[in-house]
Amino acid sequence: MPSSDPPPMAEPLQMNPALVAAQYGAKAKGKQAASTQEASTPAPATAAPEEKKLTGAELKKKKQEEKAARRAQAIASKQVDVASPIAEPSPAAPAPAGSTPAPRTDGQEGARTQQRTAGPVSAGQRNIPVRQKQKAVAPAPIVPGKEDKTVEFFRHLYKTRTTSIAGASKEIHPAILALGLQMSNYTICGSCARLVATLQAFKRVIESYTTPPGNSLTRHLTSHVLSPQIDFLTSCRPISISMGNAIRWLKLEISKVDVDTPESEAKENLCNAIDVFLRERVTFADQIIAQSTADKIKDGDVIMTYAKSSIVQRSLVQAHNAGKKFKVIVVDSRPLHEGKHLATALVGLGMDVKYCLLNGLSHNIQDVTKVLLGAHAMMSNGRLFSRVGTALVAMEANEADKPVIVLCETIKFTERVALDSFVHNEIAPADELVIPGGALTNWENMKKLQLCNPMFDVTPAEYIQMIITESGNVPPTSVPVLHRLGNESQG
Amino acid sequence: MPSVQTGYAPNLKVFKQSLKTAPLESSIEYLISLLKRRQIKNSRPCAIATAELLRQVVAKSRWTDVGKLIARIQDVGQRLIEAQPREMAVGNIVRRVLGMVRDEANEDRTEDGSDTASSIGSPKRQHSHTELTSTQGPPPSSLRFSSTTEGSDLSEVNGDDVFGGRSTPSGRPPLMASHTSYAVVNGVPVQQSMFNLLSATPSPNATPSGPSGTNSPHGNHPLHATTLAERMIITSKDLRAEVINGIEEILDELEQVDDQIAAYAQEHIHSNEIILTHSSSVSVYKFLLKAAEKRKFTVIVAESYPNDHEETHLAAMGKMKDPESEEDGEGVYLKSLQAAGITVILMTDASVFAIMSRVNKVILATHAVIANGGLIAAAGARLIAKAAKVHRTPVIVVSGVYKLSPEYPFEFESLIEYGDPGNIVGYHDGTLVDNLEVDNPVYDYVPPDLVDLYITNLGAHAPSYLYRIVADHYKTEDINFHKPELQF
Repeated sequence: MPSSDPPPMAEPLQMNPALVAAQYGAKAKGKQAASTQEASTPAPATAAPEEKKLTGAELKKKKQEEKAARRAQAIASKQVDVASPIAEPSPAAPAPAGSTPAPRTDGQEGARTQQRTAGPVSAGQRNIPVRQKQKAVAPAPIVPGKEDKTVEFFRHLYKTRTTSIAGASKEIHPAILALGLQMSNYTICGSCARLVATLQAFKRVIESYTTPPGNSLTRHLTSHVLSPQIDFLTSCRPISISMGNAIRWLKLEISKVDVDTPESEAKENLCNAIDVFLRERVTFADQIIAQSTADKIKDGDVIMTYAKSSIVQRSLVQAHNAGKKFKVIVVDSRPLHEGKHLATALVGLGMDVKYCLLNGLSHNIQDVTKVLLGAHAMMSNGRLFSRVGTALVAMEANEADKPVIVLCETIKFTERVALDSFVHNEIAPADELVIPGGALTNWENMKKLQLCNPMFDVTPAEYIQMIITESGNVPPTSVPVLHRLGNESQG
Repeated sequence: MPSVQTGYAPNLKVFKQSLKTAPLESSIEYLISLLKRRQIKNSRPCAIATAELLRQVVAKSRWTDVGKLIARIQDVGQRLIEAQPREMAVGNIVRRVLGMVRDEANEDRTEDGSDTASSIGSPKRQHSHTELTSTQGPPPSSLRFSSTTEGSDLSEVNGDDVFGGRSTPSGRPPLMASHTSYAVVNGVPVQQSMFNLLSATPSPNATPSGPSGTNSPHGNHPLHATTLAERMIITSKDLRAEVINGIEEILDELEQVDDQIAAYAQEHIHSNEIILTHSSSVSVYKFLLKAAEKRKFTVIVAESYPNDHEETHLAAMGKMKDPESEEDGEGVYLKSLQAAGITVILMTDASVFAIMSRVNKVILATHAVIANGGLIAAAGARLIAKAAKVHRTPVIVVSGVYKLSPEYPFEFESLIEYGDPGNIVGYHDGTLVDNLEVDNPVYDYVPPDLVDLYITNLGAHAPSYLYRIVADHYKTEDINFHKPELQF
């Protein structure tokens, strides 16, 4: 395998210079706005009590109006700047997606970047963060007087997303800023793609790091440099299990750096370690899994898959390139329609593809010979944590006695357990469910109406016949064992 | 679709108005075209349109004896079913009307008092009339009904040349080529005949070859031949009025059915429950509204993308069209669930499995119910029912009796309709349109083992009991009326 210097992966990062410049411009303005606002914010708080006896509510109202006007001005000036960097990834992203229907070369993680149609949804989101300028990371407080639109049984999972760089702390590295935004608008989507992109970005963070005098890299890097970066990424979109595993590994790696190592050497070692980690745990792992899966696909098979998983796509393409004749049924669902990207890619290769939404699942399951599913994570109790809807596909396949095979790198294994989808989950912004121009426009004004958009669900272990990993094919009961072995070999 | 109801696009209301003035034959053709173009769709509008049309058929067409009337209704019914075989409510209403005509005719005949059998039969027959036509007939009527059919069968032994509806093949159009895959003999009518067999009554319908037996006793009554003509003149007038009355009662039932079903709501929905429902249905909506009068609970709505999500979203926003208000032309909405104090959570179909462990009950609407207790419902219903089964969550199906169909296909795929694939992959997806096979089923078949309870306007039943209700509402000889090749 050629040394993995994945060009498309670098692509999102390559546009950093322009992006960064724009961001810094925006940030400078953002800071100005923030400072003016900071100056104005305490004013009503202090002034109001003093003069309250004189003019009371009137004065307060006037101040509020002034503040609103100032704020609107700040937004207007910022949107000119912010709009361009956010819009920028969109034209860039189709490039890898468009070019990769051709046989994929190793390490083309960039194909995983999935472009989401930038609709009015993202345009609407752009206005939101202004309110939380001071505290970008903290979950937004529920505005008093407004109805709580969160669904009761998911309430512990709600987190607001940072969708712009406004208000980000200055210690956040530009590469991380760009990555955070790409994650929050699903330009980089998928557990593996996010993992790779995160580690690449961390590499740049480490490269540009210099230990301040009087500190050692081992003690300073993790707590003072990496942590804020991780916090920012988390605020953009909760980090995936695989990212969590990788970050834990990286912290361990940093803590193992000898204090006496010269800084430049230590940095180089860390970057090399990240490369090796990516190569071993992702690139090679994907290769092995794809090969193993492609071997299992026989002529005449009908393969069903749900949404889009990069490793499933890769396996199917590999089997197709090996000359196997089979049919693929892609099942998909709202709101992300990720399966459409998969179907597009497969159709581009001339494969026989059928596409349906979940409403057609029951009608197609009888024709299927194998079900291949991607994973977001494998839980330690053998359950599969994956895109919402996966459990339905597995259930239906199980009912029809079709084998369900999960493709999963061991980096996605976790020691966490979950019995249902409420334990861990990610609640995406409810506005994503609104169809532009559809009946749900202005749904916030409808009292007692809540929209709920969970990202994942948990598939019971008994629906899964086999997990194909780079360490072999195992039943779901072996997940904790493999996880432990993986960690021990690391440690 | 909202587009259908706006402007001058023909719909149920337009059809009803045209019925008043247009000649009969053109009304029939009009309804056929409306059904074919789906400008009248869904069970209820189809059922209402069919009943209204049959009322005109009975009132306007010339008929001198019951046989001709039955043949005429069969002919019209056949054409309607052919126009839209998957709207099973059409066939159901035709069968109900046919059964009613037969009952009324039997009654008239026995009221002449010329039969010895009538002395036993007639009081029961009176019963059968009131029960069949009354909209709020108590459930126990079903048991008595079987005994009254025996009575009417007895009288048929004597009067079959008069009721010769079966023996007039001339008025029947040729065989239907479509849906020959449907069942040959329904399981239910056989059950009915078995019942008669066991009750040891000498009835020509006792065997599956019953209707053919009705032709045999020709020689039994040359006596009646003389009085036949004058009797027909008297009875046909009464009969016409009676039948029209009966059809109006069916129409009344169609109007009230949702409210009658809703009356059972408070038995089944309790405080603080979480109810999952799917798609948008007036029956379910009213059911929930009724329960909300006394209880506070949460409703999770799965949006049933891509065929019904617009309506579902509208309903979630409190804009559920009131079917009764359609006469006014203005879109008057039912009270919103939220205004009734219900918290509504809208979710995608994919989230169903994720939240099922918190759901207390699943309430499904249905398009048609078939005699084995299975149902045809909006696509996605099967997944929901199965997810509920896996989580041991009870599944309740809310359905009017008029949706209950005696048809029992061996191949359920024949009942499934496929919709516009453009809803899933549109032309803006470019080359995908040409190269991708896309599937968009509109309906799902939900097998009876996934359903725990049916709530109809007659009460709550287990799926295994539905065949009895089918037997109560349709006559054996009418079940396959639209398929002459299947008649004996």
